[in-house]
This record gives sequence, structure tokens and C-alpha cells, in this order.
Amino acid sequence: MVSISSSQALELAVFFGQATVRASGSRMDDAELVRAVLKRDRKATAEFVQLFSGRVYSYVRSRLAPRFEQVDDLVHETFLAAWQRLGSFRAEAELEGWILGIARHKVEDHYRDRLSRMEIWEEGTAELPVAAGSEPEIDVELDRRLLAARASAVIAALPEHYATILLWRYWEQKNSRDIGMLIGKSEKAVERLLARARAHFKERWSHE
Amino acid sequence: MNNDDLLFQQIAAAGECRVDAPSVLKSRLFSALVQAEAAEGTLMSLSECRARGRDLCVFEHLVAIAPIGEDLKSRNPCRVCHARLLAETFEDAPIWWPGCPYADFQNR
Repeated sequence: MVSISSSQALELAVFFGQATVRASGSRMDDAELVRAVLKRDRKATAEFVQLFSGRVYSYVRSRLAPRFEQVDDLVHETFLAAWQRLGSFRAEAELEGWILGIARHKVEDHYRDRLSRMEIWEEGTAELPVAAGSEPEIDVELDRRLLAARASAVIAALPEHYATILLWRYWEQKNSRDIGMLIGKSEKAVERLLARARAHFKERWSHE
Repeated sequence: MNNDDLLFQQIAAAGECRVDAPSVLKSRLFSALVQAEAAEGTLMSLSECRARGRDLCVFEHLVAIAPIGEDLKSRNPCRVCHARLLAETFEDAPIWWPGCPYADFQNR
């Protein structure tokens, strides 16, 4: 039979009596959190997920449009990779930025894989950019959140290859030559795809 | 740099829309990480977690104060907990226990 000492019984009673009261203190700093996770403190691991999942999820979701079904997998890969490399984290950097750096690499791998596999590099006359005179106005002076939301909606409505090339070029700020090198295409071919993607984006913008 | 490049750079600079990660995803992430930690070595015992001022759920608390060895207190009781199953399956799962990470992951 399992016996419980009086102090344990008291502790239990106190626990049940305060079951609705949160006892947690303030958030640990980055270095402390990393040390605790490395010691396999499961509560620190929960805090690690709670603190950074929103930021990583928002970032990955915005970068994978319109293929949202792959977001969870990529966030998952990011966290596992971050956990595996946590020992190399140096406290002079911010942990959030460090994890986002890992997410960026995952996103770039995803772009490279996605664009390399697509049969999009033969130009078709049906995909020529719209004429300059009919371009819609895009007001970049909109409230930042409104602009981000609208751009996100337009990106999500684009064909996958256009969304990917725009996100990689402008949101990830990768230049056309580097993109071309990573996917085995010429800078010109990337520029042509970008021109078509921009035209489609602008056309969609007026319908959003 | 052409006008289009400038325009798109300005749009991209607006950043991304912040959204909460789904609670199901957070729950699965946490389970996967704790499983990976357990596969690599012994988890910190629940009594040590408690000594460090961590919140324990009612079940973990029972394990932490039970007169059993530290090796048993280092196991992961969440593996057999219904809260984990609910949290990994449903958004807004019906779990509210204080100190339960899966309850904390709910976006309420």
C-alpha cells in the first residue's frame, strides 16, 4: 500500500485548494530557457513552444501561400531542427530571431524544391503581363496591417509558381541571379517569370 | 532597380499578418519535442520541475509527491493522458487543468 506523509498530504490539500490559481512566475530569459530545455525540463519545452510557435507559424504561413497545407509540417521541421541545434545557440542573439533563421532556411529549401520541380519555364503567350496602361493603382500608403493583409490575400489567390517567385524575390529579398543559381535557371528566365507574376499580382489586386 | 521592384519591396515591407498557431499544432509540437527529449535521455523529474517553481497539473503533482523513485518521476505521464489526445485532435479542446501545457496551448 502506498503511504503519504503528512507534509505530502498537506501539499496535496494545498494544491487542490489552489487549483485555479496560477503559480507561474515571469518568463525566463532566453539563455535560461535554453539551459532548461537542454536539461530536458518538459515545462521549459512547453514554454519554448508557447513562446515561439505563433511567430514561426505566422512567418511560415505567410511564406507558403497558397500551399497552406504544408505549413504545419514546415513549422514542425523548424522546431525539431531548432531543438536539435539548441546547444549551439549563443545568448548574444535573440532566441526568436535564431529560430526564425532556421525557419527561413526551411522556407528557402521549400521554394527551391517547389520551383525546380514545376514545368513553368516555357513561356506561353497566355501568360504575358497585362498592358501598362491598364495597371491598377496599388496604394502603398495604406495602413501597414491592411497592406499586409491585402497583399497576403492576393498572394494566396495567385497560381503557386507566381506566389512562390514573388515571395522569394521580395518578401525574402533574394535576388534573381541567386534564385536562378539555386534552381538551375538563368537570371533572365527568373526575371521573365517575375514579370508575369507581378502582372498577375497587380491584376488580382484590383479584384480583392 | 525598376519601379515594379520598388513597389513590390514596399508591399513586402508591410510584413506578414500575425496569427496564432493552432492549438493542435502547438500540442503536437510539444509532444514531439518531449518524445525526442525522452528518446535522448532521462527527462527532468517532476519533483525537480516542481522545486524549480514550475506549475504541475494535478496528475503530475500526484506523481511528483508520490513515494516512488526519481526514475519513475522522470517518465512522461502526458503520454497516457487524455488531455494530450484531446489537445492533439481538437482546436479549443475541453481541457482546463491548471499547470497542464496542453490546456495552456488552447487559444481561448
